[in-house]
Amino acid sequence: MMLFKRRAFIGSLAALAAAPLACFGAAEDFSVPVLMASLAQVRSARAHFVEKRYLSVLRKPVETMGVLLYEAPGRLEKLVQKPKPERMLLEGDVLTLETDNGRKRKTMSLAEIPQLAALVGALRGTLAGDMEMLARYFTVSLDGPQERWRLTLTPMESSSLVRFVRIFGAGVDLTAVEVHQRDGDRSVMLMKKN
Amino acid sequence: MGRFFVVAWLGFLLACGAVVTQTKFSADLSAFLPRSPTPAQQALVEQLKDGVVSRLVLAGIRGAPPGHLAQYNKALAAALRADARFAAVSNGEEVTQTKDRDFIFAHRYLLSPKLAPGYFEVPRLKASLENALELLSSEAGMLAKTLVASDPTGEVLRIAEALSGAGAPAMHAGVWSSRDLSYSLLLVQTRAAGFDMDAQQEAIAAIRQAFAKIAGEAGGGVRLDLAGPGVFSVLTRDVIKGDAERFALVASILVALMLWGILRSFRLLALGLLPVGSGLLAGIAAVSLFHGEVHGITLGFGATLIGESVDYAIYLLVQSEARVGERASLRRLWPMLRLGVLTSICGFSALFFSSFPGLAQLGLFSIAGLIAAVLVTRFVLPEFLPLGYRLSGTDKAGAYLYTWLGRARTLRPWLALGTGIAIAFLIHRSGNIWQDELASLSPVPLDAQKLDERLRGELGAPDVRYLIVVSAQDEQAVLEGSEAVAHSLDEAKRAGWIAGYDAPTQYLPSRKTQLARIASIPPAQVLQRNLQEALIGMPFEPQAFAPFVEEAAAAARMQPIERSALAGTQMALRYESLVLQRENQWFAMLPLTQVTDAARLSAQLAPMPNAQAVLLDLKHETDGMYRGYRQEIVLLSAAGAGIIVLLLAASLYSVKRALAVCLPIAMAVVLTIAALLWFKHTLTIFNLVGVLLVVAVGSNYALFFERGLKAGQDEESTAGRTTVSLLAATLSTVTGFGLLGFSQVPVLSAIGTVVGVGAILSLLCAAALSPEFAKKHA
Repeated sequence: MMLFKRRAFIGSLAALAAAPLACFGAAEDFSVPVLMASLAQVRSARAHFVEKRYLSVLRKPVETMGVLLYEAPGRLEKLVQKPKPERMLLEGDVLTLETDNGRKRKTMSLAEIPQLAALVGALRGTLAGDMEMLARYFTVSLDGPQERWRLTLTPMESSSLVRFVRIFGAGVDLTAVEVHQRDGDRSVMLMKKN
Repeated sequence: MGRFFVVAWLGFLLACGAVVTQTKFSADLSAFLPRSPTPAQQALVEQLKDGVVSRLVLAGIRGAPPGHLAQYNKALAAALRADARFAAVSNGEEVTQTKDRDFIFAHRYLLSPKLAPGYFEVPRLKASLENALELLSSEAGMLAKTLVASDPTGEVLRIAEALSGAGAPAMHAGVWSSRDLSYSLLLVQTRAAGFDMDAQQEAIAAIRQAFAKIAGEAGGGVRLDLAGPGVFSVLTRDVIKGDAERFALVASILVALMLWGILRSFRLLALGLLPVGSGLLAGIAAVSLFHGEVHGITLGFGATLIGESVDYAIYLLVQSEARVGERASLRRLWPMLRLGVLTSICGFSALFFSSFPGLAQLGLFSIAGLIAAVLVTRFVLPEFLPLGYRLSGTDKAGAYLYTWLGRARTLRPWLALGTGIAIAFLIHRSGNIWQDELASLSPVPLDAQKLDERLRGELGAPDVRYLIVVSAQDEQAVLEGSEAVAHSLDEAKRAGWIAGYDAPTQYLPSRKTQLARIASIPPAQVLQRNLQEALIGMPFEPQAFAPFVEEAAAAARMQPIERSALAGTQMALRYESLVLQRENQWFAMLPLTQVTDAARLSAQLAPMPNAQAVLLDLKHETDGMYRGYRQEIVLLSAAGAGIIVLLLAASLYSVKRALAVCLPIAMAVVLTIAALLWFKHTLTIFNLVGVLLVVAVGSNYALFFERGLKAGQDEESTAGRTTVSLLAATLSTVTGFGLLGFSQVPVLSAIGTVVGVGAILSLLCAAALSPEFAKKHA
């Protein structure tokens, strides 16, 4: 399962520069700041996704698929192709939701939708390698080696609907995002670079 | 006899004093707006005066980057929410929306227009569940899923969407913002009533203080702009109060200085002010008795009464030439003075009969004051003067001024030329001389009105040009009427005649409708069975919708909600601003957006048994209203001027002499209007009132020139005295009215400017055209 497209060469160089010890394959030295520094180098990325949502009211998961686009530092676009075309765009603090082929459009500020703010913050913070932002809202822990890492973000706010978000990756590419909600519902999004 | 007058006068003063101490002073803004002719407009004005709308303060923070503005906004809102003086503080933040969401959730089956027989039958339930499934798999599913178990048919979202469609403000960084992000916005509702001006003032001060504290911590050029009825009332009250006090003080000082200059005696000065004081007291007492209260603007008009009523004392004190052992008296001047007072009364009567309650007060105030002042001068003042009173020391100055005024004759060609040009200019401009906005009459300063309009627009109040007003005998009937109208509006929306509408029944449906909705919910067992059947072949868990069945069953046992159930929500605010009661009549307003076919819409409004619905085009109505008032004032002014001319002709027994009096006034009026149009471009109807007063006041001076000089022509010293008194009288009038010209209250400045300029021009024209001067210098 791979990966976000990137300027691979520059990305790798940056990762090397930021984590010189990684050259020696010393897994213990792969840390959150090292990962963040390397992720921060990625300027843009594009990937196909398949997302499954496991909801308590449903016997089987809801499945959607489409394309994810990221542009540093704050633009994230999710183009759903199936089952119905939809477009979700996060730019800065503003979330736009377009349905019905752009005929219906809803704009919200993230502050209005705390249910989504945590999730969106986790994903975008990771993509941007924004350590400071992540540390403000989440307890961050990292497992695994650089070529197969797993980042777990647990919201510090106890009222958050999200229990934790787990992001899987290899190098500077994200491969999966799992969101575990407090009510037991969860979603799993697998990503594959073009 | 003299003693009798003095005693009667003292008694009168005591009575007036007693009335004045009991007088209520007001600064009600609507007094200077015309009384509204149609019930719908009356309803709007009433709403402004007493309704929830009158308790709203619109606040806008500007002068910093949008993100910072939002932070100030949140801090200010938090501070105000902790303050008991405010009933509600809305700024788009989560806290303010929770209450509404809870309310909508709890009452969704009473509020949803979808609830009708058959809605919870298998086929429609199945269709609803399919929609729910689609929603869950959409990106908004994360938001919607918490509701699905309780509300699979999506009533909450549907209601919320309909409500936010009715013009919600733009959002930035979690709070309301103007569309261009220059303002961060709040809507504050005071606990105190809108007409409780002291409480409003206190509330406004509290907002400003809280903001100063927040902005002070941050520093920089952040500003807080406030608007709204309460803010305006307090602002205008302060302005009016300031103006009234300042002008009364300055007029008193100037008039006293002038009197001192002529009389050179403190005793005489004090006596000279007696008629002025009596007139003011009588004016206030008369207005208080007749109108029940005295408007601040009326007191502001006091300066003009000071300027006018001192004239009589001047005539008596300067012109009296009592012989040894005789009392001074106005007897010689009385016929002229009486005529002067009568013309003034004619002028102020036009105000008295106008439909503006405020103008009517000004008229009564002046009439009562002038009558009291002239009577005191005629009958009381002489009792306090020594026998054989005769003012000395003015003869030399008088003679000099007399000669000087005589030179005004040389101005004749220039005045003729000026008048000619003025007439040509007026003919040229005759098409568009009127300021045709009702707003121009409001006592609220124009930039404050503009700010209010801007903030109101940004806060999403619909642009109220088109409005359907439903009226009925009681609240339920008016709500049922609104529902019927809303039904036909839905059709109009489908037909594309309107883009949308807002209706009070979105927030509180009629009892009848609520009962019908409750009745359309099937019993729990039936609903459960329908649901089981609808779920066949769908991916939902069988027990997923247990909360729905339970809550729908609970809703089926609900009683219809009343207005009180809305308390504390934004919806209450909205409802109260759309529904109001006036005496025994209830009104509901349905503002429309983007009306494309008003004629067909109006035809669409079917007659209803218990309610009436009218489509109002407010722009059309207010324009029409303004034109109506202008016509009224034009008519009253013309009638006033006509009566003054008739009075002059009748008392002068000669058309020629009447013309001699009228000609200079006519010239002065033409020149004044032309000057005003030249500098201000348009006239308001208050300017027109000022023109009438120029006629009334100016005729006094023309009359004195015509007659007073004649009476004194045998003796040089008398002519000199007459000149002194005339000039002093003009000067005092110009002082009184001219001061008003500097007022920030539009009605006062509009009248003051015209009369101030007009009085000087009247004097000039009268002196230049005086036949007596012409004879003397021939």
